[in-house]
Amino acid sequence: MKRLKSFALAALAVVVAVGVIAPSFGISNANAQSTGSAALSIVPKKNYVIEPGKSVSDTLIIRNLDASQDLNLSLRVVDFTFTDNGGTPKLFLDPSAPQTTWSLKPYLKLPKTVKIGPGSSKKVDMSVAIPANHGAGSYYSAIVYSTSAADGGNVGLSASGVTLVFTTIPGKVNEDLKLKKLGAYDTEAKGDLSGYKYISDKQPMSIGYTLQNNGNVTEAPAGSIKLKGWFGKSYNIDNVNPSGSLALIGQTRTYTACIKLATTDVSVGGSTATTNTCANPGLWPGHYKVSLDVFYGQNGNNTQEVTGTAAFWYLPLWFVVTFFVILLILALVIWRLVVKVRKAMYGPKYRKSSVNRRR
Amino acid sequence: MHHHLIRLHTSFFANWRHLWSPELVALFLALFVFVLPAGASTRLEERSLLMQNNEPGATTSYRVSFKYMTPTPINSVDMLFCMSPIPYEACVPPPGLNVSGAVLSDQQGESGYSISTKTTNHIVLSRASNSLPTTALSSYNFENIKNPTASAQAFSVRLRTHTSSDATGTQVDFGSVRAQVNQGIVIQTQVPPMLVFCLAQQVDYGCTKTNDTFYTDMGELNSESTLTAKSQMAVGTNASGGFAITAVGIPFSAGTNVIDSPLVPTESKPGTNQFGINLVENTAPNVGNNPEGEYANAIASSDYNQQNKYKYVSGDVVAYSPNVSLMKKFTVSYILNSSPTLHAGVYSTTLTYIASGRF
Repeated sequence: MKRLKSFALAALAVVVAVGVIAPSFGISNANAQSTGSAALSIVPKKNYVIEPGKSVSDTLIIRNLDASQDLNLSLRVVDFTFTDNGGTPKLFLDPSAPQTTWSLKPYLKLPKTVKIGPGSSKKVDMSVAIPANHGAGSYYSAIVYSTSAADGGNVGLSASGVTLVFTTIPGKVNEDLKLKKLGAYDTEAKGDLSGYKYISDKQPMSIGYTLQNNGNVTEAPAGSIKLKGWFGKSYNIDNVNPSGSLALIGQTRTYTACIKLATTDVSVGGSTATTNTCANPGLWPGHYKVSLDVFYGQNGNNTQEVTGTAAFWYLPLWFVVTFFVILLILALVIWRLVVKVRKAMYGPKYRKSSVNRRR
Repeated sequence: MHHHLIRLHTSFFANWRHLWSPELVALFLALFVFVLPAGASTRLEERSLLMQNNEPGATTSYRVSFKYMTPTPINSVDMLFCMSPIPYEACVPPPGLNVSGAVLSDQQGESGYSISTKTTNHIVLSRASNSLPTTALSSYNFENIKNPTASAQAFSVRLRTHTSSDATGTQVDFGSVRAQVNQGIVIQTQVPPMLVFCLAQQVDYGCTKTNDTFYTDMGELNSESTLTAKSQMAVGTNASGGFAITAVGIPFSAGTNVIDSPLVPTESKPGTNQFGINLVENTAPNVGNNPEGEYANAIASSDYNQQNKYKYVSGDVVAYSPNVSLMKKFTVSYILNSSPTLHAGVYSTTLTYIASGRF
């Protein structure tokens, strides 16, 4: 019996020792469990115009793309703002994050969880109800659909999708867009002000303009940009915001417009969509003047206009080298011509006399 | 010959003041002051358009308001409905809009007008008046106008005032108002924007299949070697604003011990505490793949697309597309290094990849 007791104690000690010591040699290797599908299709954006005291009922269509697993989603509404000068939302995921002044959270209703069978889709009911006497303006929040994280391994993965919900409450609003910058823009800068180029050795493909939104509504400006080069050659960008991109409340947003737009029809998820890319505009080297004329204004409010001018130089290396070579040749020719004319005017002794004068 | 040249030189440079007296030059410059503004028009102020119902294709009433600026008798107002607000650009009528059945139901401020011309996108108001226009706001209400059907883009009304009663001859004032129809509820026959996203250890290019494994085990930590792992995600959208994928989650930790991540892209350094990710193929260590998919719109963010350099900051956008994007598959590479002094423990993390639309 004593032997049995000591054997049991020894076994327990080994188990405890393994439990305590083993992790110090590395990461645990627990058996992981699959938690269901993490392949989904959602609506990325919703827009509503709702008068105070009225509501809108709508459906969110969610598709489970996994043919073998259920899609288990938890839904919640979070506020968001802008990340930078571009159009990427910054989500306030922390449940204790304070509510923003433009939050739709109190007015947006939707279920907390959704289960969708393999390979099928579901319409999820949602509604936005605006209280009576609510002030006019833009209100927005995001619906986050989260799959549950896997339990196991040491890198757990979880997928979430987001629908951005924008609501405009009509009425008299405060609209104020200020032009901060305009010029040739390198799109790789992703909205950063460093993307503006006054002198560029690379052919500019797009023109950028940065607007600061000081109003209490989101704005989607529309208008055109005119580009005028040396010798009067001009280029017209007749749609400076083809995607209808928004400047959020308080955001300084950089918009870019292709000097020459190439549109292509592509098929995504069984539907056809038109995508825009910048094509080679074929700019000649030299100096360009940029004129911006954009309009904005909510329904029933004054249409306002933002205008501005800027300039840039497109100077590729080959052009600079060629220019200086031609300049040098021209200077030589002029110098020889001047010498020839002066010789003709003042006689062959011109050189000698000019030397004497200097003395 | 040289006598002729001297005479020419003398007449141009010595006696130029006789040819171009300062008085003559001043008179020439003064001409510009009077000549240039003669053709200029003034902008109509406080311009606005109120659509009673801004559902696409709805038949509703429009109220156009503005202030006349130039104190000249006005006998006609030209209202041209175009996509672009810019007066000198070719007018593209808003698709679906029809103002040919418009009825002028009310007029405030400057009144006495009737509709003299109306086509699908053009209205001319005419009257006979010799009095100067009021400086107060003038409004014109039109019933029975059919809204445009394209909700993705704003449209405009180009306004011009004339002294003639048929909107011919020189314009007096001008200006544009803009508006946009808004798709409140998705029409079921129309393909709505969608965002397709999937995530797992291995995913199919089109999100049609994943291996349903949402964890990865990196093995045991060792100060002399780098642990690696990878996961995959695929994404695509037909939304014109594109998408963004944000990575969220705390770095590797065991209790209060955290393996820090570099804040800027950094090489893998065995023997130091380091956790990082990137979205490209690497050789040091040998892990990962470049993004797969023919379409160039969707790319890894600049900090996460550098070979052999790793970074991880929770909340960073790791991949994005500024526009419509076909399906693209990204492979996320994970590296984990540890120093010999790292506290023993079970180190793990859960990373959530959030796919959202852009605004």
